[in-house]
Amino acid sequence: MSNSFILRAADRGHETILSTGPTASYVGGHPDAFITRQSSFNFHDYQSGRAGFGRIRVFGDETFNNPGCSYNMHPHHNFIICAFVLSGRLQHINTTGNNDELLAGDYYAFSAGSGGLHTEINVHREPMNAIYLWMLPDHLYLPPSYVRGRFDAEASANRIKPLLGADAALPIPQDAKVSRLFSTKPGRHVYRPRSSGHGVYCFVIDGTLACDGTTLGSRDSKGIWNATEVVLETGDAPADALLVETIL
Amino acid sequence: MSDRDFKRWLCLGCGFSYDEALGLPEHGISPGTRWADIPDDWCCPDCGTPKHLFEMVEIPYAPGQPTPQRPPL
Ligand SMILES: [Zn+2]
Repeated sequence: MSNSFILRAADRGHETILSTGPTASYVGGHPDAFITRQSSFNFHDYQSGRAGFGRIRVFGDETFNNPGCSYNMHPHHNFIICAFVLSGRLQHINTTGNNDELLAGDYYAFSAGSGGLHTEINVHREPMNAIYLWMLPDHLYLPPSYVRGRFDAEASANRIKPLLGADAALPIPQDAKVSRLFSTKPGRHVYRPRSSGHGVYCFVIDGTLACDGTTLGSRDSKGIWNATEVVLETGDAPADALLVETIL
Repeated sequence: MSDRDFKRWLCLGCGFSYDEALGLPEHGISPGTRWADIPDDWCCPDCGTPKHLFEMVEIPYAPGQPTPQRPPL
């Protein structure tokens, strides 16, 4: 018998982080820039939800508004930080020597390890929306590392496409895996976690699908564990979802 | 892991870790200082996250990094 939780879009934590006032040293782009963050799990001022899921500690649906909107260069340790750009353009700069512009469909995983630093910036008028995912690593103080990839929705449509982690082209130092399903037609897609000790967090980016019988709309999500498979059913309208598998 | 073993705590704001065995001598906390003995109003030196938002972890160190230690009897 599998277990699950359902998190509706409106029930996530909501924060607006200004580039003025007490958060000015953290968020750049003064005076007009601000970040909106919708957290699936407890993070920062939002502490009334779930603590995390398996190795996932942060799952933030973030929008950088107005040119110059950024997280200033800041230190990190140990967490594996992944960003999946959904719209707009993100400039990601880190101290392993990367300075990348990421467009919709692009993603990266930055393992901050023993103390990598990074900055995230939107220099354009168009808002930048990305999913930020933080995972605990399998070792502390690994050498910082960075990988990036691109999800081509058209080429990968109507199947579950691994993006990061086990069985994907881009490895991460954790027993976790991120996949994406972009569907354009009715279908039944079965996701099989590597063991019943792995949980799956399904987050709908856009559209509607049924996840193990639960209808999930845009930005709704469901976590499932003690399951040998997770069934995603899609309809005529396009649907887009991220699947994060993690050891529990 | 027994209660006696030194433990590690991770800042959920940035990943900064506090290892009881190592302390934080550069911040005036000597090696062997237990988490419970750190003041409740202590914050992450890197990101300001308060002590109560740290999480105890049992994640091992990468090769070449500090090896877990046991306190002297
Ligand atoms: Zn911190």
